[in-house]
Amino acid sequence: MIDQAGVLGSVRRGMIPAHIYNDEHVFALEKERVFGRAWMFVAHESEIPSAGDYVVRRVLDDSFIVVRDEKGEIHAHFNMCLHRGMQVCRAEMGNASHFRCPYHGWSYRNDGRIVGLPFHQDAYGGEAGFKRKSQRLLRAPRIGSHNGMIFVSLDDEAPSLRDHLGDFVFYLDYYTRQSPSGIEMRGPQRWRVKANWKIGAENFAGDMYHTPQTHTSVVEIGLFREPKAEKRRDGATYWAGNGGGTTYKLPPGGLDERLRYVGYPDEMIARMKGEWSREQCDVIGRDGFMISAASVFPNLSFVHNWPRVEDSDDVVPFISVRQWQPISENETEILSWFAVDAEAPEEFKRLSYKAYLMCFGSTGMFEQDDVENWVSLTNTAAGSMARRLMLNSRMGLLEDGTEVSPALPPERFSGPGIARTGYSEHNQRELLRRWADHMERPLPKAAGVEVGTNGQQAEAGQ
Amino acid sequence: MPILRADHGACQGYANCVAGASDVYDIDDDGVVVLLKERVPEEERQRVEEAARSCPVSALTVEGG
Repeated sequence: MIDQAGVLGSVRRGMIPAHIYNDEHVFALEKERVFGRAWMFVAHESEIPSAGDYVVRRVLDDSFIVVRDEKGEIHAHFNMCLHRGMQVCRAEMGNASHFRCPYHGWSYRNDGRIVGLPFHQDAYGGEAGFKRKSQRLLRAPRIGSHNGMIFVSLDDEAPSLRDHLGDFVFYLDYYTRQSPSGIEMRGPQRWRVKANWKIGAENFAGDMYHTPQTHTSVVEIGLFREPKAEKRRDGATYWAGNGGGTTYKLPPGGLDERLRYVGYPDEMIARMKGEWSREQCDVIGRDGFMISAASVFPNLSFVHNWPRVEDSDDVVPFISVRQWQPISENETEILSWFAVDAEAPEEFKRLSYKAYLMCFGSTGMFEQDDVENWVSLTNTAAGSMARRLMLNSRMGLLEDGTEVSPALPPERFSGPGIARTGYSEHNQRELLRRWADHMERPLPKAAGVEVGTNGQQAEAGQ
Repeated sequence: MPILRADHGACQGYANCVAGASDVYDIDDDGVVVLLKERVPEEERQRVEEAARSCPVSALTVEGG
């Protein structure tokens, strides 16, 4: 068992008991209270563009078929046959009008309704024994989408997705809405690392401090010109709604010059200006900050960087969307997608993909640098000495709580939320404070759904 | 022109045919196959025959030429 009040109290003060990064009891509670209620990203609409397209994605142990039905509506069906609980769809992605369980042959239309129930009359006595009409695969309790990004929540009482994202949607647009068509996603690459899931989420949320140290070699070989220590320090971190991230301070210039500086062609810049609000343009053009990494609670992250990809000095920006899918207290499955504006020129897409693969994904250089730290940290967190150590995650705060670097006023940062320049761990604390808030609250028991009785009748009308 | 036949007594409601050719076969509320068409053009024969052959209780046939 864990000393819950002690651990959560410490975390809220910014003192992190090191064992939370490798503790089976902590993980058991996270499964129930964090992932049992949080909005979890499962897919982007561009991954399932046509009727019948589906991907199978997990929320920890729960498998969901995320599918576009014949009418174009998107569903997330719990991937468990109503009969004996077999996984109905065993492929990872594809196109299907129906899903048939391999065990006894029950089948379901892609909107989830049951269609085939072999020997219904002989075996069950028809409707009198088993109410086949209106039965369907269970739905994810909640589903929502924003800029084509589809999320589910297992909590019937969860606030709406829009409320969950809050003001972070302002920043989400930089990654997912550079034109009216939004993004298209490729991937994901999917691999496992022996690291706790929280470490990556915290790192992407606000760790500008590690860049000049961990990623030194990438700068030294000339592939990335930005993460010099002073450049990162000049950047701002922001937190808004349930997410936050990092930025780089760009050289002087207006919006066009700065977007060109990170490698966007003029035609893409024109579309961004048409799509973004005045304030969204001002963060870059007036204030000089270019978004880089970000995380949304609990485990979804983004990255936007601009390395050199060819022999010239030209840089090309890329965007990655990634999820830190927990497997256990010391293992994480990383799902890493390449994202690009759907209206971008083909040549840009090609080079941007190359830039992404060079930096992130299973072979990316930044990825390798990061994961070595995270695996090592996770290993060490399992020991008994780690139970004594309270990591200081108070960077940016004096002991009396005074902030080292005050929040930027609106005239220096036009985005919503709180932004500050310089190194700090404000964002990591924001993320873990939400973690503590979730960990504290038990989850009410969800109502059971009976199969073949009138238990699903309430859903029948939908 | 291929003619479709269904043995409604043999049908056990697997719905494999529906998965194979949902424009031709469906399952009614009683769990029994319904033919949405009785004839299909020759060029549809192969696809519809495949759907018919997927029936585990051989309730479906495609006849004629």
